[in-house]
Amino acid sequence: MWLNNVVAGLTPGATYAIVGVLLTLMSQLTRVVNFAQVAVGMFGGYISLTLVTKMHLPIFVGVIVGVLVAAILSALLGWIIATWLSEASTSARSAVTVAGLLFLISLAFILFGYRNQPFPTIVAGPLFTLPGGAVVSKVTVVVIVLAIVITVGSWAFLKFTAFGVKLRAVSDRQMAAELLGLNVKMLNVSVWFVTGAIAGITVALVGPSASNDYVTLSSIVIPGAAAALVGAFKRMDLALIGGLAIGAIQGLFAGFPNLLIVRDWVPIIFIILFLLWNQRKEVWDVAR
Amino acid sequence: MSLKLNDVTVSRGVGPVISNVTLEVTPGEVTTLVGPNGAGKTSLLESLSGVIGISSGSIELDGVDISKMSRRRRSHAGLAHVQQGRMIFPSLTVKENLQLTARTKADMDGALALFPELEKRLDSATVLLSGGEQQMVVLARAFASKPKYILLDEMSLGLAPVVFLRLIPVIEQIAKTGVGVLLVEQFAHLALKIASDALVITSGHVSYHGAADALLTNPELLKKAYLG
Repeated sequence: MWLNNVVAGLTPGATYAIVGVLLTLMSQLTRVVNFAQVAVGMFGGYISLTLVTKMHLPIFVGVIVGVLVAAILSALLGWIIATWLSEASTSARSAVTVAGLLFLISLAFILFGYRNQPFPTIVAGPLFTLPGGAVVSKVTVVVIVLAIVITVGSWAFLKFTAFGVKLRAVSDRQMAAELLGLNVKMLNVSVWFVTGAIAGITVALVGPSASNDYVTLSSIVIPGAAAALVGAFKRMDLALIGGLAIGAIQGLFAGFPNLLIVRDWVPIIFIILFLLWNQRKEVWDVAR
Repeated sequence: MSLKLNDVTVSRGVGPVISNVTLEVTPGEVTTLVGPNGAGKTSLLESLSGVIGISSGSIELDGVDISKMSRRRRSHAGLAHVQQGRMIFPSLTVKENLQLTARTKADMDGALALFPELEKRLDSATVLLSGGEQQMVVLARAFASKPKYILLDEMSLGLAPVVFLRLIPVIEQIAKTGVGVLLVEQFAHLALKIASDALVITSGHVSYHGAADALLTNPELLKKAYLG
């Protein structure tokens, strides 16, 4: 029973992990906590839905267009920040993404209406059953694999490619990189584009099996941020583990009716615990 | 062929920090810029590379007006600016730092020829190097971009004089390859030794412009120029 619940929690957990990794990348490479990270994916998802249900396009075409829309929206937000807030503080830059989040949710209500509609399913059905009887679905495996591929792939890309080295240089010292002739704006916007596309793919995969109203989908950024905090917005591997752990714990709580209410608090508890842990030295220093 | 500042004024915050400065850096020579703290030396270099804008006047690089160009385009036009402090990219190795600007193996070899001691440290994270080694990386990286002109801002900052002495002949060597060097330095006597031309700047104005030798051999002249 409990194993079934934990396994069920792994799909949202892997989603949080992906979002956590994306937020870590964005924070490291573009100095932004991107609150609109999932909202661009949500918007792309609804574009796909419209293309498939209203224009009767094949699912794969709808998904590709949706992912592209998510990437372009994200790149646009990145371009605005890179153009007008290139030397602003992280807080000011992040505040712009809150505006982006609210704008996309409002626009979704205007364009797609107030009624929830199910997303077209890309991956469905069980894949295998664990010895205890817990059923592992295809989407769970696909999203976990995607989370791992994104984490390892991002690390390898940043470590071993010339483009990745340039991104790291910009993240270290933007001005010095610019003085060396690096196209800082293009590098920044490319990070936004790619992370937007990944958010689009993630929503396309998990949207059909989750609550997919605009606000709930966009709010996945909160447990995603909790996952990123596990890695202190610096380590993608810990963000991956953190996301999976949050999902698994939420799944576990779902098995106990008395604890059901606590389920939604898990990400917030993670965030509070991290902040307390992070501040422990400050307290010690003041005490001294 | 030169890097020229024509009657440039730079304002920062409350008022001008550089007023009507004219100077010329010629290829293959070192021009030294000295002056007391807060005189506007760093602002002057920053205006050349585009870190800050100019209020009036113009900046020309080999006859092309670069005053309105972005920092990136100025770099592509042949200007390298080594800023104050040790501007390494800490998360990168020595090799990765150099690869950012070295387009060919020859560029990389040329940069390493300046500081052969870096060859053993190519795979080390630059953050783990000593201050002197970090400045070597920064200077080699600037040279690897094959600039026409290099602006060097207080490379000795935070370094022991003996470490800075290792950098001085390299700056001379860079100039000998045909690169024009504009050197801002607190160790005036060391900087003037390798320069052909010198400027003393005080409170944003040029108080002396002439042969570096004259300042070096006449401390009174230097003192007078410093005091404005």
